[in-house]
Amino acid sequence: MSLSDNELIIQANNGNHSAFEELIYRYDKSVLSIALNYVHDNDDAKDIYQEVFIRVYRSLKKFEMRSEFSTWLFRIATNVCLTYKSRSKKHLQLSINEEFEEDEHKKSYELISDNRDPGELATNTELGSLISDAVDSLSDKQRITFTLKHYEGYKIREIAEMLNCKEGTVKKYLFDAIRNLRKNLDSVYAAAY
Amino acid sequence: MKHNEYKKLVQLALYSELNNDEQKELENHLKSCEECRKEMEMQKNLLNVISETEKKEIDDTLLHEARVQLRGALRMESGKQTFGFQFFLNLFEFFIPPYRMAIAGVTTLLIGFFIGYIFIKPSPEIRYITKNADGTENVFSQQDVKISNISFIDSDASDGEVEFEFDAVKPMHFKGRVDDPNVQSVLTYAMLNEQNPGSRLNSINAMVSENTSSFDPEIKKALITVAITDKNPGVKREALNLLKRLPYDEDIKQAYLYVLSSDTSSALRITAIKALIETVQSGQKLSPKDLKIFKEKSKDENNNYIRYLTKTILQEHD
Repeated sequence: MSLSDNELIIQANNGNHSAFEELIYRYDKSVLSIALNYVHDNDDAKDIYQEVFIRVYRSLKKFEMRSEFSTWLFRIATNVCLTYKSRSKKHLQLSINEEFEEDEHKKSYELISDNRDPGELATNTELGSLISDAVDSLSDKQRITFTLKHYEGYKIREIAEMLNCKEGTVKKYLFDAIRNLRKNLDSVYAAAY
Repeated sequence: MKHNEYKKLVQLALYSELNNDEQKELENHLKSCEECRKEMEMQKNLLNVISETEKKEIDDTLLHEARVQLRGALRMESGKQTFGFQFFLNLFEFFIPPYRMAIAGVTTLLIGFFIGYIFIKPSPEIRYITKNADGTENVFSQQDVKISNISFIDSDASDGEVEFEFDAVKPMHFKGRVDDPNVQSVLTYAMLNEQNPGSRLNSINAMVSENTSSFDPEIKKALITVAITDKNPGVKREALNLLKRLPYDEDIKQAYLYVLSSDTSSALRITAIKALIETVQSGQKLSPKDLKIFKEKSKDENNNYIRYLTKTILQEHD
């Protein structure tokens, strides 16, 4: 019979490295998936993955088991994703503990110039690139929310726990993300369908 | 409920986030509202387009690479927490938080005096300490620290303050036995992550030198990863050669077979098949699955020499 997360945590905190490995291998594929679908780059995703589990390793002794380990882990993962993005932008420093304040005008949503033929754009390669750009152009919190909901399939309640905010806030990020994606991709998906 | 609110329910409905009452209410509304039905179709299309082109699945190679790199990083991390450092960490666990920082400071000071006393020379290091916004202290610069990649978070100095982040790199010098776990941690990390191929190569050679008395399983895993995934053929070949010095097992055999069947470099495929021939000659058995790979290679391989070696290994095994 396999050990529970908490039993593995106790063993890991007593210096059992195999227990720590078993614990993280239960969730590491999900963490890598979140990272990859957030940054769209294998090397960046591996960097985020590594940073997440280094933080877990350093902080495991402080984990008080009041919540599920997975909730705590994914909260770290989303935080690292947001911070990682902030670092790459070199000019933003965000914290998921802040209440949402989305400045939608700070982003450029003009991904498709008016003089391009939507039919011509709707080839697989270009479509993929446009969608990738559209998702990347979302604000950090819209993007992490959209990634967790759309690609990873988490419930809004779970995302709220990860982002440490209210469900209503998550819904707002999601609505805003979809509205912006729709605005950017309107001519593309209208042409494709 | 207002019309715009139904549009939000449409989005939530597509993600199965409505409760029964909300679902029924939306269904009733959709029966009588063409605009919302169109809205639902539009949103379905949008999400379908995004799903088809954007979802990135995790393949086993990527996960394996991430895990191997993490192991290297964790070894570095655990290396930091050994010996006296761990002792002091454990000691501090007994004290309540308000006193912890003070004790850490005093202890660090005592260690500094002790080290100064042992080596009888003053430290040339000059440290400039600043305070963060939350009042915690932060080392701003040191004499031998190289600062690069400064990026401003807040460059507006109108309030008398600016905020930025930067990379601070401090050169370290270390000399120790190659079988020292701390040395092995650094070498494993370098083997997997160092940008310079020469440094990766040197790390591999040092790690599996003649003087290495024991092999950590992590070194084997790292060598296999390098043999399979490194971008530099020279580094790959060195890793393959050094795997021969490790006790032969199923993992190593699979690494050779992977290189033989997948690598684009014929030189590496030759290295792999020669290693396999040696193991067969020393009495190791091949499974039916392995033999199938060789039989396929003996027919499909472009390189004549590899085809010849493949036939040799099949004869050796018979």
